[in-house]
Amino acid sequence: MTNYIPIINILILILFSFVMMLFKDKKKIKYISIGSNLVVFLLSIFLMVYSISREVITLSIGNPNNLLGIEFYIGKSESVVTLVFTFVMLMILWFSNFALEKEVPENRISFFYVLINILLASLLGVIYSNDLFNSYVFIEVSTLSACGIIILKDKKENIKATVKYLIMSTIGSGLVLMAIAYIYSITGHLNISLIHETIVGNYQYHENAVLIILGLFTIGLGIKSAVFPLHSWLPDAHSSAPTPASAALSALVIKVYVFMLMKVLFRMFNYEIVNSFIIMDIILLLGSMGMIFGSIMAIMQKELKRMVAYSSVAQMGYIVFGIGLGTVTGTAIAIYHIIGHAVTKSSLFLISGLFIEKTGSKKIEDLKGIGREMPLTLGLFTLGAFSMVGIPILPGFISKWYLSLTCIEVGRVPLILIILASSLLNVLYYFPIVINGYFGNDNLDGKVYNSKKVEFIRILPIVLLVLAMMIIGGISFNLIELFNI
Amino acid sequence: MDVFITNYYETGAVILFGIGFATLMLHRNLIKKIIGLNIMDTAVFLFFIAKGYIFGKDAPIIVDKFKGVDSYVNPVPSALMLTGIVVAVTTTAFALALTIKLYQHYGTVDLEDILKMRGDQND
Repeated sequence: MTNYIPIINILILILFSFVMMLFKDKKKIKYISIGSNLVVFLLSIFLMVYSISREVITLSIGNPNNLLGIEFYIGKSESVVTLVFTFVMLMILWFSNFALEKEVPENRISFFYVLINILLASLLGVIYSNDLFNSYVFIEVSTLSACGIIILKDKKENIKATVKYLIMSTIGSGLVLMAIAYIYSITGHLNISLIHETIVGNYQYHENAVLIILGLFTIGLGIKSAVFPLHSWLPDAHSSAPTPASAALSALVIKVYVFMLMKVLFRMFNYEIVNSFIIMDIILLLGSMGMIFGSIMAIMQKELKRMVAYSSVAQMGYIVFGIGLGTVTGTAIAIYHIIGHAVTKSSLFLISGLFIEKTGSKKIEDLKGIGREMPLTLGLFTLGAFSMVGIPILPGFISKWYLSLTCIEVGRVPLILIILASSLLNVLYYFPIVINGYFGNDNLDGKVYNSKKVEFIRILPIVLLVLAMMIIGGISFNLIELFNI
Repeated sequence: MDVFITNYYETGAVILFGIGFATLMLHRNLIKKIIGLNIMDTAVFLFFIAKGYIFGKDAPIIVDKFKGVDSYVNPVPSALMLTGIVVAVTTTAFALALTIKLYQHYGTVDLEDILKMRGDQND
């Protein structure tokens, strides 16, 4: 029975998203949405407990002999990522319950809940699926629903950002589909495990084809996950979307494609094959560039949400950097950074939404003295910023620490300088907000203590996210051990 | 050169893919971009369908009597492309709807011009 949890998760989300459309009352839609997500979260806890004690769970769909190869594959990392993603989505829904009315037109609120259920279902589908073509379909569904939640606000900016996002991601999915066509024509399979069996013995006869396949997958999925030079759609899309939507997009959606890239590189091929091609060095280069330039561009931003969005580009750099190292530990840290960044960035985005709502301004300079008006909220922001910068025990530090250790292990010591430089640049854009918020007589002049207090029930999801962040930091050793297969 | 002539379906598919990709990347007009997207997807469909076709074999539907395993083609590529077509149609419809919205707000479908305009003065 536990074997079937993955498909039950996806079916619950999709079925209830269609049920929601039958109702007119917004309250009911909210309850259905939060209820279905809660059920999926509880099932994911179950799935994780079950999968930790086993090697992998596979679930063939359609026929038991796996002739067609349509299959779900849930290893330890998949189940942990599922748990974190469903948790983050539940918190985002809780937050949006109180915040969405302020940003989105009244008649569109129900669409948000419908789309977010479809989005989560397709994201889980990409994570679980062991079949390339099914992954492609799930990727397309997730792209369209992600476009949908950006455009909910119906402002000029949003439409522009959505068009940019849609065009860029259709280029990405076209490349991915072409890569799938190539791999199908040289192996005759679509199932990742079956392709692996075929290609390990034969790849030296198809060197050019394998290089093209790797390139197409890297660029195609790279566009979708905003790897550095291909990120141009991200800041517009993520900063103009409604706050809960940008939290979901930045924390979950871009991560999934990178997760799929990991599956393609290391499970469909293996470390030995991909390391013999130039592609890993290119991935490493893209990651390093993202870490530096993403942070530099974040420093130059004047709007809070744009800054946090550019910070996502830099953080994607870390994940891609971990993949590019081409070792088992590197991949484990990349997965760890995916979950660490998912909880951190979602809390940062939700807090920026609260700041913008209370001060009525998107600009960073208007946040001076906010620490006296909203002390608890800025405190949570500070903790998130600490994790991004890399203060010990928080997830950001753990990723940076282990990435540096892995750099030494593979004999690429100069790369540590890039990690250090990127951390220092992170300080330059996160700390001014915190320092100007809490300190400085000019800044605090005329501000009344706790005057812009937010009700505790609205802050609670953010508190839980920050707590989860600390827990992920605390049990980092066990988690990385778990991913280190 | 011979390789290209014997595999003319694949050659054609890759050339079409290039044309579609270039149209999608280089044109400023949104409608042309969407046409490029469709050409690109169609190229992949051609590639897959050509892979699934073997001269002289039937579609895997039994008429009158079963002719043996060897006289039918593999149905999987065609079935996949059926799904692919659905996905492409959905994306195209969504992109066209967005283009209409964009035209209503900005008065042009030229993406470069739109990106130059700052949209936040009316926020």
